[in-house]
Amino acid sequence: MKSYLLTLCFLVSILLTYAQKLPYASLQTIDNKTVSTKTISSKEGLVVVSFWATWCVPCINELDAISEVFDDWKEEINFTFYAVAIDDARTKNRIRPMVKGKSWPYQVLIDENQDLKRGLNITSMPFVIVLKKGEIVHKHTGYSQGAEEELYTTLKSLSK
Amino acid sequence: MRAIQISILLLFGFLQTVSGQFSNHLNVGFESSLIWYNDDPKTGDFYDDVSRSGEEHLRSNNYLKLDYNFYGFLSASIQVESYSPSALLNFSPNYDNTNIGTYSIRYKQGKIDATAGYYYTQFGSGLILRSWEDRELGLNNALRGGIITYKPMEDLSVTALYGKHRVGFKTSNGNIFGVDLTFNLSNRLGWETTQMNFGPSFVGRQEKLELENPGFDELTNAFSSRFDLSLGSFYAGLEYVLKGKDGIAFRNSFDNYFVKPGSAILINAGFTGERFGADLTMRRLENMSFFSDRLKKGNIYNENVVNFIPALTKQQDFSLANIYVYQPQFSVLFLAENLVKVGEIGGQLDLFYKIKKDTPLGGAYGTSLALNTSYWAGLKNTSVFPNPDAGITANYHAEPLGFGTKYFSDFNFEIRKKWSSNWLTNTFFMTQNYNKRYLEDSAIEIVRAKIAAMDAIYKMSDGKSAKIEIQHLWAKEDKKNWAGGTLEYNFSPRLSLYVNDLYNYGNDHQDQRIHYYNFGGSISKGSNRLSLNYGRQRGGLLCVGGVCRIVSESTGLTANLSISF
Repeated sequence: MKSYLLTLCFLVSILLTYAQKLPYASLQTIDNKTVSTKTISSKEGLVVVSFWATWCVPCINELDAISEVFDDWKEEINFTFYAVAIDDARTKNRIRPMVKGKSWPYQVLIDENQDLKRGLNITSMPFVIVLKKGEIVHKHTGYSQGAEEELYTTLKSLSK
Repeated sequence: MRAIQISILLLFGFLQTVSGQFSNHLNVGFESSLIWYNDDPKTGDFYDDVSRSGEEHLRSNNYLKLDYNFYGFLSASIQVESYSPSALLNFSPNYDNTNIGTYSIRYKQGKIDATAGYYYTQFGSGLILRSWEDRELGLNNALRGGIITYKPMEDLSVTALYGKHRVGFKTSNGNIFGVDLTFNLSNRLGWETTQMNFGPSFVGRQEKLELENPGFDELTNAFSSRFDLSLGSFYAGLEYVLKGKDGIAFRNSFDNYFVKPGSAILINAGFTGERFGADLTMRRLENMSFFSDRLKKGNIYNENVVNFIPALTKQQDFSLANIYVYQPQFSVLFLAENLVKVGEIGGQLDLFYKIKKDTPLGGAYGTSLALNTSYWAGLKNTSVFPNPDAGITANYHAEPLGFGTKYFSDFNFEIRKKWSSNWLTNTFFMTQNYNKRYLEDSAIEIVRAKIAAMDAIYKMSDGKSAKIEIQHLWAKEDKKNWAGGTLEYNFSPRLSLYVNDLYNYGNDHQDQRIHYYNFGGSISKGSNRLSLNYGRQRGGLLCVGGVCRIVSESTGLTANLSISF
């Protein structure tokens, strides 16, 4: 029993002292420039990385909702927002016209063979990661209408 | 006693420090899908066509992946998979028991990125080579061998690779070799606003032949070249693949005289303006099936796949729009004298527009419109149907730009509108023309379907929200009319419940008017998620990312768990 409890404490302590970085991956901008995760991690302030795809409806709902309040958030919090699309050759060509058609304010990157998604063991979408000083400080999967308010609260408290 | 306690605490503190540093470099992902298949009074008892048994009702697929990063430049990865007591229904029988699925060690420092073991990669859009993982499809064609990418300067990268495909827990007989170059010409030319990329590739597949005097080589060479241009609000891309001469299997054997090259051409162009985007894609494929083991051509488990040729149609969200899904036709197939396929030709167009807010049609938040249409036909050809007994060899000649039998066309559009801070709706309409005879080798000829669907989301306070969805499919052929609906309630962004049903009420056969109902819920915390579902799964094609897998009709209780830290 005691050893069981100790093991449990040990596992909990691992989770508490946990601070990961983004694994190395090379991503593409919509006009074919290369951006590595090193560049993303080295940004000042908070960095939000939101994984999405042109075929993922909750992802689009989330990005639509955030785009409406984006300017208000920007006034209060210092953050950079990356929308990382995991579309492959099937749907990749729809990314650019869709992003422009929606006038989203995000920096859109493409993880075409899903190297970053796999490196982070992401299995369901949407998936949001927040980085502070290059370390992952928040992760969240799924979206239901209104959940962007929780992300705002998280960013607000992390920015202090 | 006290000494023991102190030493435990000290040890604990030490372990915590070490583990803290250890875990900083460790990524863990665990995913499990467990299904209890039960007998269904309406659709019949549980039966597995592959193992030809109705015994093992409980099935599960489990994946544990560990990635560890040493010193910032060296990393190791291992994925253990367990299919126990057997894999889920319709997964390849090569996934059996528990074993190491993939492992690798990677060195990434400065200009060099090298991996030994299993790796995933793609050249260009994947038209010549792609290895990737899709657990839902049971697809994992990781290459086992080595890959090295050298980047002598910012604008140039060179990749060379060798490997054998992963096939279940074994590997392919055939060997894959590849070389790829990617140039960014813009910086060389001193352009700032224009991006121009160019990339040639080579992929070789060598597989031992057990034929006497084969009329083709063990090594099949494929070459490709791609060119991408981005000029302000305009962009365009071109990719061309030429696959060298190779024997074409007919009824699982080769004829030394039926030897042909293959080719693919993909053209893409688009334009974006303020709140507007348009994209046109066209493709021609001829004899482009490419497998590490030749006789695995067209296998239903998507094993040994060298290249990635997705259907270029919109990936639909509403479930009734996913009954008649186009599957790309890249293989040469002589199914019957009047059913010969050698490739496909066609294209799709996408338009996106957002109506400005504070206008009569835009309302307070703006309105998003999306239109998509596609047309795909078989390559027009003249052919000779084989008759081995009479010594007649198969042959064909395809026209360069000839549109033959129509395989598929669709037209669809959607209007997404936010009415107030609480209400959001999505309205969808689609027409489809699906050549079931050619696409599924079925007795039914052409299915013409019309689909209308709508969903509405209502946002309440405290993170609560509800969603209602209704859809209908009209068709006079095949299974005829369908109706469907979904109700979903989110108690918070972390907890949700849903119930949905698809009802084939228009089916001519009274006993096949079936309700495909499902209900369940999911709970998530951070990056972890657990979902439960009970219901009846419609049989047919399950397509993810343009690749399809055949699933049989089944009823059961499903639990999915995914954890990552």
